[in-house]
Amino acid sequence: MNYQTLSPELIQQLSAIAPGRVFTGSDINEDYAHDEMPIYGKSVPEAVVEAASTEEIAAVMKLCNENRIPVTPRGAGTGLVGGAVPICGGVLLVTTRMNQILSYDVENFTVTVQPGVLLNTLAEDSASKGLLYPPDPGEKFATLGGNVSTNAGGMRAVKYGCTRDYVKAMTVVLPTGEIIHLGSSVSKTSSGYSLLNLMIGSEGTLGVITELTLKLIPQPKETISLIIPYPDMESCIATVPAFFMHHLNPQALEFMGKDIVISSEAYVGKQVFPRKIDGVEAEAYLLVTFDGNDADELDAVIEKASEVVLEAGAIDVLVADTPALKRDAWAARSSFLEAIMADTKLLDECDVVVPVTQIAPFLGYVESLEETVGLKVRSFGHAGDGNLHIYCCSNDLEEAEFLPRAEKFMEAVYIKATELGGQVSGEHGIGRGKVPFLAKSVGDVNMRLMEEIKKVFDPNLILNPGKVCYKL
Amino acid sequence: MELLVCIKQVPDDTVNVTMGADGAPKLDDIAPVVNAFDTYALEMAARFKEANGGSVTVLTIGGEGAVPALRSCLSVGADRACRVEEASVCDPQGTAYLLSQASKKAGEQPFDVIFCGSESTDAASGQVGAQLAETLGLPVITNVLALEPKDGGISAKQETEDGYRVVEAACPCVVTIVKPDYEPRYPSIKSKMAARKMPVAVLTAADAQADASKFGPEAAKVQRAAISAPPQRQSGVKIQEKEAAEAVRRAMEIMVGQKLI
Repeated sequence: MNYQTLSPELIQQLSAIAPGRVFTGSDINEDYAHDEMPIYGKSVPEAVVEAASTEEIAAVMKLCNENRIPVTPRGAGTGLVGGAVPICGGVLLVTTRMNQILSYDVENFTVTVQPGVLLNTLAEDSASKGLLYPPDPGEKFATLGGNVSTNAGGMRAVKYGCTRDYVKAMTVVLPTGEIIHLGSSVSKTSSGYSLLNLMIGSEGTLGVITELTLKLIPQPKETISLIIPYPDMESCIATVPAFFMHHLNPQALEFMGKDIVISSEAYVGKQVFPRKIDGVEAEAYLLVTFDGNDADELDAVIEKASEVVLEAGAIDVLVADTPALKRDAWAARSSFLEAIMADTKLLDECDVVVPVTQIAPFLGYVESLEETVGLKVRSFGHAGDGNLHIYCCSNDLEEAEFLPRAEKFMEAVYIKATELGGQVSGEHGIGRGKVPFLAKSVGDVNMRLMEEIKKVFDPNLILNPGKVCYKL
Repeated sequence: MELLVCIKQVPDDTVNVTMGADGAPKLDDIAPVVNAFDTYALEMAARFKEANGGSVTVLTIGGEGAVPALRSCLSVGADRACRVEEASVCDPQGTAYLLSQASKKAGEQPFDVIFCGSESTDAASGQVGAQLAETLGLPVITNVLALEPKDGGISAKQETEDGYRVVEAACPCVVTIVKPDYEPRYPSIKSKMAARKMPVAVLTAADAQADASKFGPEAAKVQRAAISAPPQRQSGVKIQEKEAAEAVRRAMEIMVGQKLI
């Protein structure tokens, strides 16, 4: 695709649309050239527009569409697949100034927000009203627009589902500049193709989200977490289906190996996961949270859960039943990515999702690749839904040596995941980094359908080029 | 050794406290938790017992609402729990007096070491441990980081600005505990379930032979005159360079870094 470069006249027109909020040349903050996985490349846009309204975004899109200027939407830039990196230059359309919580409808349990509101902001604000926004991705400082664009999951997905399950309606600016409204606050619909669901997870390739109506639920009154150490990863993962067989319904169910726990606790500066219990070394852990509205009921649940896991080979069950203990238990888990990044020079990541029963054999295979490709492998993930975060890392190699090894590693990982009935991404998206792997995983026909859908929304292919299904 | 740990329930200190229209902090929706320094004291006492034998009793002043806190202590190393059924205790001196009286009745044998957190995370007067020692006529070692038995007494690492000093005392004695270099343990499901069935002894002030005129409202020697929210933290970056030219250079750097100029 031949795109135009931004002329001084076009920059002037952009400045007229968003006065004082258009940046070019050396005025562009270097953070706008990358997301949090710089291994997929950095790219500086020709101009940054920090948009303030739906109408401004519509005007920017119309101008860029007419002049074939590529536009890349960007929230907080916390993505991990290069989805918000402007690889074709053009305009980077930043939504972080649109950060207002517009209104609550407490009777219908919805909230309407601008796309630049941070997940953490909504979580705290809704909690102060006794409400919960259930999606809980690890990155709390991502924007809600970004969360919807990637259908972000997170740790509570095992009980409450992903972001998709909480989007009731949205306003979208199409690449042509038209403004559309999708969905509504009603509870059910059978009204034609769900463009709303098509937009969710489309990673800013079909339209720019400018307003969202999201579903909330009453905040559970009580939560309690369990740290469950195991002598090996196999017995740890093998326990997972037992939670569901016994009608236990955890809010979060995470697994982690000993190595990553040690790294993360060193990073956080606090040790809470036991290393040795009654002379038995812990090699793997489950970290589980249950929620409910009654403390006694919850006590009965954790007793039952403990019975189940101890029978399945857990060494012990530790109970985080105070705010401080819960906070400390989850602090290590929440810092895994930062801990890995802090002690790794080069890394690449995938977030495949496999059937829960295949987690253990899949991890075994992934670890066996350490020797084959010559990279250190770290992994953790959402045991309850089979979504795994797997990192290949190196501190010794130069980037030119690392990249082909990482590619070999990722290729093997995705082939295996597909064989086991898995998917390329559970929650991070495809962005730029995973495009070739998606094509291999879903096949030609599915890719063709996605490409054709892309063209219907974006006939000039100006919106977020080079991402998801549209290869440059 | 027989060990006593005095604990206090405080509002969860991870929650941002706001002020009500009446000028008092709004605490109704904030879960009560065991004061963090008291959890360190209990963990230190439990480790001391595990290494040297003996038993750990926890003691608090409060109504039925204090029972969950005491049970949580029973699940992480305490062997016995006791609460003094008394709602109106005037000030740190009154608290210390009532605890001193109760400490004489709370155990099966006299206590060798009485542990207190160095301060509470709500009122933070930091006085109760020292006043308890004074009331009982016992030696006190404040700001203790670690403790071991020595020659029938104890040897403690007392925190200083630069590190610690080693201080010894004969038993019985009082120690006030600061954050050691380990975390309080998590209860196991077994210890938590067992704690649910353990008795919590109750003493009234009369049982403890405590004189209400020494701890009740009229005994107050200090009164809280007012309470106010801390000032909002100013946003921005503090430039700390002493030389004017350096300070200007730093300010320019920051503004250029933020693409403000």
